[in-house]
Amino acid sequence: MFKKLIEESTGKSPWLFHINAGSCNGCDIELVSVLTPRYDAERLGFKLAGSPRHADIVVVTGPITAQSLPRVLRSIEQVPEPRCIVTMGSCPQSGNVFRGSYSICGPLSKYVHVDVDVAGCTPKPEAVIDGLALATQILQEKRRAMK
Amino acid sequence: MILEAVKYLAYVLIFPGFLFCFLTGLLLSGIDRKLVARMQKRVGPPILQPFYDFFKLCGKETIIPAAANRTVFLMAPLVGLAGLVVLQLFIPVFSFTAFSSVADVIVILYLLLIPALSIMIGGGATGSPYAGVGLSREMVTVLSCELPLVLVLLAVCKKVGAATGTGLCFSLTEIVRYQMANGSLLGKLSMIPAAVAFLMVIPGETGSHPFDAAEAETEICEGMLAEYSGAPLGVYKLSHSVKILSMTSLFVMLFLGGIGGGIQNLVLALGLAGGAAGALTILLDVIVLFLLCVILTAVAISFVHAVTARLKIEQIFKYYWTVVSALALVSLVLAWYGL
Repeated sequence: MFKKLIEESTGKSPWLFHINAGSCNGCDIELVSVLTPRYDAERLGFKLAGSPRHADIVVVTGPITAQSLPRVLRSIEQVPEPRCIVTMGSCPQSGNVFRGSYSICGPLSKYVHVDVDVAGCTPKPEAVIDGLALATQILQEKRRAMK
Repeated sequence: MILEAVKYLAYVLIFPGFLFCFLTGLLLSGIDRKLVARMQKRVGPPILQPFYDFFKLCGKETIIPAAANRTVFLMAPLVGLAGLVVLQLFIPVFSFTAFSSVADVIVILYLLLIPALSIMIGGGATGSPYAGVGLSREMVTVLSCELPLVLVLLAVCKKVGAATGTGLCFSLTEIVRYQMANGSLLGKLSMIPAAVAFLMVIPGETGSHPFDAAEAETEICEGMLAEYSGAPLGVYKLSHSVKILSMTSLFVMLFLGGIGGGIQNLVLALGLAGGAAGALTILLDVIVLFLLCVILTAVAISFVHAVTARLKIEQIFKYYWTVVSALALVSLVLAWYGL
């Protein structure tokens, strides 16, 4: 019964940790608009956590610059299991307009397993919420697979 | 003898103790989050959201930092929660008290420090610089709240002590009993500044806006909690919720205890026999206490949270030691002159 309770709760309280890996700030602002009164993702239990250790879902924005890569990987490692990684915007997926630059190490999927990609430059808040909801389902499945 | 032991075990684990604290505390903080959301024109999370958060955190991996002291890191949250549960045993529920003694007001004053101490020790044990900053801020916040809190409690003790002829009455049970016979202290003119001061102490003690400099998640990653994850973090979040219950129910017992007399008269008027009357009184007491706690949470925590921004630590200190302390002092002086 306790295990079921935890499983249910995992799907209802996903906390986000946001990493900016050289983003132009467009996606970051769009993520804030998801959490503020107009789209209010808190009604689904989403909350922005200050520390990676509190998080369930890691949201990565930006094209993963050479400077940020080790820090991104280190932050992701500090998120306790079960965790989900969501990329937001086209940059972490393909490099977008920065593709081919000497200072870009992306895509992120070369280094870690990415669960959900939300494409767009920038993605609409509706798309972001959809992606996060999908990530929540994956999170719940990961929790089910544990132990 | 065994019956006695079972009774006290039930006190600790079920009614004024752990289970009661767990359910009402988390429910209060859920209502708080919903109210803040509605005040900001949001839909807000479901009222059961803190329960989901707690159980989710129980199912997460617990990472122990390499720099941390393992035992202290894991035990500190439990000590804090235990302190709060014991505190709740000393706070009467109108006519019902689990443990009462001659000077439980002083015991309560000490017990209120334990959760803050536990979070400081646990945070300090992680060795994180964020925790270091949070720790120093938490210490200042606790210090700022302590002076007005002591003054408020002294004012109430003097008021009741003068009326009952014992000088200073440090027994919370006596204070509630006096109010049940003579009407709530909030109705006495000299106690109103103290009540207002206590209302202002509630957000500081529970670490909510605008006095949450110690746990500022946007600047220092929730300070002392920065390195915590999984179940210990859940226990800290739970203690935070239970503290809301402790502070609001303490307010009810100090200033609104007279409502208990009304409940007793109501049960008497129904004309029930011994056991049934006792059970009904306790049931009504708990329901009324919970409703009053909800109202107080809305007034002292949710509303203040929705309209204010975070203060700097020196502003918190100055505010508590001037405005709030002055209010409490006014009451103390008035009570001392027998008003």
